[in-house]
Amino acid sequence: MIPGPFDYQVASSVAEAIALLDQHGADAKVLAGGHSLIPLLRFRLASPAVLVDINRLRDLEYMQEADGTLHIGALTREVDLEASDLIRRRYPILADTARVIADPVVRNWATIGGNLAHADPANDHPATMLALGAQLVATGPTGQRLIPIEQFFTDSSFETTLQPNELLTEIRIPAPAERSGGAYLKLERKVGDYAIAGVAAYVVLDGAGHVTYAGIGLTNVGPTPIKARAAEQLLRGSTLDDAVIAQAARQAAAEAQPVSDLRGPADYKRAMVETLTMRALRQARSRATGGA
Amino acid sequence: MELELRINGVIKSLDVAPNELLLNVLRREGYYSVKHGCDHGHCGACTVLIDGLPRPSCVMLAMQAAGATVTTVEGLGSLHRLHPLQETFIDAGAVHCGFCTPGMLLSAYALLQRNPNPSEEEIREALAGNLCRCTGYNRLVQAVQRAAALLRGEDIEPISIPDSGGRTRSWDLGRASLEPYEQTGTGVQRVQVMMGQPERQIDAIKLVTGKPAFADDCDLPGLLHARLLTSPHAHAIIREIDTTEARALPGVHAVLTYKDIPRIPSTSAGQPWPEPGPHDQYSLDHTVRYVGDRVAVVAAETADIAEQALKLIKVDYEPLPAVFDPRQALEPGAPRLHPEPESYGIYDANRNIASHVHFEQGDVERAFASAELIVEGEYVLPQSQHAALENHVAITYWDEDDRLVVRTSSEVPYHVRRIVAALTGLAPRRIRVIAPRVGGGFGGKHDLIVEDLCALLTLATDRPVRLEYSRVDEFRSSRVVPSQIIRLKTGLRRDGTIIANQMLVLVNAGAYGGQAASVSAGSGLNSLPLYPCPNLRYSAQAVYTNLPPAGAFRSNGALAGLFALESHMDEIARRLGMDPLALRRKNWLKEGEPLPFLSQAQARYESPIPQAGLASPYSAEVRLAHCGLPRCLQVVEEQLNWREKRRQGQSGPAQSGRIQRGVGIALAMHLPTSAQSLLSSATLKLNEDGSFNLLISLPENGNGSHTILAQIAAEVLGVRPEDILIHLPDTDSTPFDTSSDPSSSLYACVHAVRQAAEQVRQQLLSVAARLLKVPAESLSLADYQISAPGGKSLSLSQVALQALYGEQPTPISATSSWNAACNAPTFAAQGVEVEVDTATGATRVLKVVSAIDGGHIVNPVLAEGQIEGGIAQGLSYSLCEEMVYDQQGNLLTTDLNDYRIFSARDMPETSIVLMEGDGSDPFDIRDIGEIAIAAVAPALANAVADALGVRLRQLPLTPERILHALYVVRQQAARPA
Ligand SMILES: Cc1cc2nc3c(=O)[nH]c(=O)nc-3n(C[C@H](O)[C@H](O)[C@H](O)COP(=O)(O)OP(=O)(O)OC[C@H]3O[C@@H](n4cnc5c(N)ncnc54)[C@H](O)[C@@H]3O)c2cc1C
Ligand code: FES
Ligand code: FES
Repeated sequence: MIPGPFDYQVASSVAEAIALLDQHGADAKVLAGGHSLIPLLRFRLASPAVLVDINRLRDLEYMQEADGTLHIGALTREVDLEASDLIRRRYPILADTARVIADPVVRNWATIGGNLAHADPANDHPATMLALGAQLVATGPTGQRLIPIEQFFTDSSFETTLQPNELLTEIRIPAPAERSGGAYLKLERKVGDYAIAGVAAYVVLDGAGHVTYAGIGLTNVGPTPIKARAAEQLLRGSTLDDAVIAQAARQAAAEAQPVSDLRGPADYKRAMVETLTMRALRQARSRATGGA
Repeated sequence: MELELRINGVIKSLDVAPNELLLNVLRREGYYSVKHGCDHGHCGACTVLIDGLPRPSCVMLAMQAAGATVTTVEGLGSLHRLHPLQETFIDAGAVHCGFCTPGMLLSAYALLQRNPNPSEEEIREALAGNLCRCTGYNRLVQAVQRAAALLRGEDIEPISIPDSGGRTRSWDLGRASLEPYEQTGTGVQRVQVMMGQPERQIDAIKLVTGKPAFADDCDLPGLLHARLLTSPHAHAIIREIDTTEARALPGVHAVLTYKDIPRIPSTSAGQPWPEPGPHDQYSLDHTVRYVGDRVAVVAAETADIAEQALKLIKVDYEPLPAVFDPRQALEPGAPRLHPEPESYGIYDANRNIASHVHFEQGDVERAFASAELIVEGEYVLPQSQHAALENHVAITYWDEDDRLVVRTSSEVPYHVRRIVAALTGLAPRRIRVIAPRVGGGFGGKHDLIVEDLCALLTLATDRPVRLEYSRVDEFRSSRVVPSQIIRLKTGLRRDGTIIANQMLVLVNAGAYGGQAASVSAGSGLNSLPLYPCPNLRYSAQAVYTNLPPAGAFRSNGALAGLFALESHMDEIARRLGMDPLALRRKNWLKEGEPLPFLSQAQARYESPIPQAGLASPYSAEVRLAHCGLPRCLQVVEEQLNWREKRRQGQSGPAQSGRIQRGVGIALAMHLPTSAQSLLSSATLKLNEDGSFNLLISLPENGNGSHTILAQIAAEVLGVRPEDILIHLPDTDSTPFDTSSDPSSSLYACVHAVRQAAEQVRQQLLSVAARLLKVPAESLSLADYQISAPGGKSLSLSQVALQALYGEQPTPISATSSWNAACNAPTFAAQGVEVEVDTATGATRVLKVVSAIDGGHIVNPVLAEGQIEGGIAQGLSYSLCEEMVYDQQGNLLTTDLNDYRIFSARDMPETSIVLMEGDGSDPFDIRDIGEIAIAAVAPALANAVADALGVRLRQLPLTPERILHALYVVRQQAARPA
């Protein structure tokens, strides 16, 4: 099937993109890498009247650290994240995430902004961003606003708190503190598949080895990306020993809301959240304490 | 909108609509190398390079290409100047059906552009977005490695025989017409001995250069596009169907429902007449029997209009109770799928039994009663699909003589003609079926999926019509590999001697039973004879349910039968405390023994169709002349390091730790189909330049059969294989072929070609004898020349000119045919080593070893490629493939994301050993790709059992099934005794 008819507009600047979005409101859709959107159009699961192509907005493709924050342009392609020396060295959890998305052909074009804005609970970046406590920059006709990642996803799949006339322009991640580390682990049926379950874990330790920050995000075990708040709570202040990790993993599994589907029965997925959380936390701990 | 397309170095100005996909625009513009395999960016067949980066053109708007440079394979290299990647793809035997090849080449090209020295892992990763269903990927990886070396300026040893340049050799009529010459021994190219040589695939160049080789690669003026309306109900009667609005939609040329066509009971199974299965299908019917069943078909100016028209068709369905489980379908009071009196050939329509097969010998019950040990087990195989990368497609049109041309991706062209004739009312003389290269079949293209409807639309519109399936259509509305429930019961003596064996099979035939009879026979026929014992029973029922119909499938049931039998053998060994290989060696088939079943198959393989299914070629007892099992098993045992590894597995001291390893072995044998008639024919004729046309009706689906046939003809005729020009199947010109299963077909076609070549050779020699004035017996034919003892020679070209235009003009040509079945089985042993994560159930296959004894090997590179492809499919089926439905019979796995098939990254190391029977018949040549898939699943299940100590009796071996089995075992162990 081919997509239904629409008007195709190429934005040549962020301002122009926003003007177009503002003009057409909910009838318009942003086109980034297109890997999620075009299949939706082809199967007529979305039928916008106007498509605003933002692929020419090269100024939205960047990764840089400034003022203790990592700034990632929303149009940054997965392949660039994966290959970036900065990301590999300083944000291995992000490299972990980009690397397990589909295959290189998809990663050549798929964008980190699209991955988040699509709000697919099966997508991998949301969990990582939840773990990292990212902030998203939404740019609209009246300027920019910052959305904490936990307020970005709503209670429904494929829905965000972005306004129809807003563009997601940047992702901000706190630069890694001295003793911090994270990991993203994904269990798949077949390499490159959407996750059976995925877990992102990120921890910051103080000088005495106590946890000062803990973030846990879950992929594809609920209608939306899930932040395992109670599990995070258990970790905070702890020394991140194996017993606490096991307890937090059990808690994360309890916070998952899996349903049985083609990637496995619900109880299996829940069990896997526990296993993966345990492994991800151990790896985060190891990275936080100087290991790989 | 205007689009300036910069493609392959040229600039084209095109008018495209904003919603047009780049894929469609490129194909419309004649870039046929860009293939359609799915619609979601899952398969990679449509890959193009955008500014040098691979991108699926099916999920990209054409307008997005504005300002970018687009590269397709047409821009990579040509016949005269192949790119090193195109060279190495051919050389390494990495091109099978060729449908994935263009996309694969482009992904590889992009990789080498940015990384001239990639590691194996980097290559696998780079190819991961391009699915291939034919190769096992390892040859592709090898080809990329070799191209990288070439591009770095390194020398590489060719794998196949380098191209002779014969395709572009010039021809000099003046020289050709010269008098006989004295042979000087110089300037003559020596022809290698082709048989047994790694010749390059003769038809690979067109595939690596992206030429329009497939059924859909053509355009016709006035072509209409057809779309199918399918049933949303698993079982319903169409009370009313109103097509008024659909017909009124501008651009719509025809809408057909059951009301518009005659109701003729038939079968879509492309089998020899009279087809043995039930005739329970109608091109369009007033009853729908599965979700996805045909309801109506529309032809319109564009696919989009046709799609819109489908939505305007108003159908009033009266839903009927549906049944999905064959066990329930057999119960009294179950919904009946085929109560209609017009259908015929159904074994027992009242009980939903489409077909029934029963073989028996000895006194099974008495033997069970006297057995010292009885082991029983039930094994479950899922419904899966062939998932060839090329979807079903047909194009039909009236030619200048008002004859209907059917251009189709089919493996059974003559059956298509006969069945389309029956369904359209046209006499066969008015139908011409052309079967270009098949983009992967595996049995899925042995059924008529689109041809009849496409033809009916051309009849209705007098226009050319194209009906192409989407990937969703493929999953929902074509044929499946049926699910089976197999129960085994074995009676033994304590020493491990099997005294009775019983296999009961329930095949979920789905809504129509066309292939049910052969499927039911295959599971037992291709497994049980491995362990003949005096008391054997095989009983199989194919039962109707409201699911997509069963189709034919690679290995003809062996995969299912062997998964059960070879898992069961390991289970028996465990119960006896015996080495599983020793148990096999004690009981297996031995040379000189009669093959069980074959003689009886005739007696009990009953089909209600008069004359059908009874013609078993094995009328007398067949004794096994040669058995390859001992050598195959020995090789696999050694290569897998079985003894050592087995000691480390569960059968040895229990492993601890998260990751556990195990090894498993299984045996296989494959018999060419016994229940169908067999006939293959070949025509060969000489051209003026000493090349030959070979006309055959055996389609090329990527198994390399055309190269093998060319090698055989070339061998007999003293020329290079590229001088055997194969005409693709065309019922107007290529001679008759029954298109049976691949093994039987290739075997018969090999003999037909050999005979035709020998006859042509005789004709050549007798013309030369006349010209040289010597007796024909004294002449020799080699290296394109016929030489007399004294040193006088004539080139083939000279002989051709003299024969055709000389004193007594006579054509040099012959047609020959073959109808005797091969009755030597193919044997195999396969071994698998796995690693299982006991916390997640995830399985990683580390290694697969296959030893195959399958007749004479004409081309080792092609043979190994076929086997590796079989292994890849076998692993993919065993680990990840399963069609899943909801409670209402709606398919949930409708794309290649949810229905997962192996990619380059999933494929383990393979080791392949080829054996060649007893070597007594150099023309005992069969399709060994069939058996290569057969024992992978049980070997894998046995390896998992070795690693974990738990037995999984259901495929696929998904992580949750493995973990669940582990959990159950641990629970049992924890329970106090
Ligand atoms: C075969 C395949 C396998 C995949 N496997 C995975 C996987 O394993 N894991 C995974 O995480 N993802 C996977 N994906 C999804 C892939 O990462 C998508 O590309 C991604 O979800 C969307 O990114 P995109 O740039 O393609 O966005 P698009 O498809 O262009 O857009 C997606 C949605 O986001 C909106 N949008 C995009 N950018 C913006 C913006 N800047 N501001 C506002 N709205 C915006 C669009 O309007 C649209 O609604 C897979 C995709 C394919 C095709
Ligand atoms: S990826 Fe485009 S057709 Fe399959
Ligand atoms: S050769 Fe790759 S799909 Fe057939």
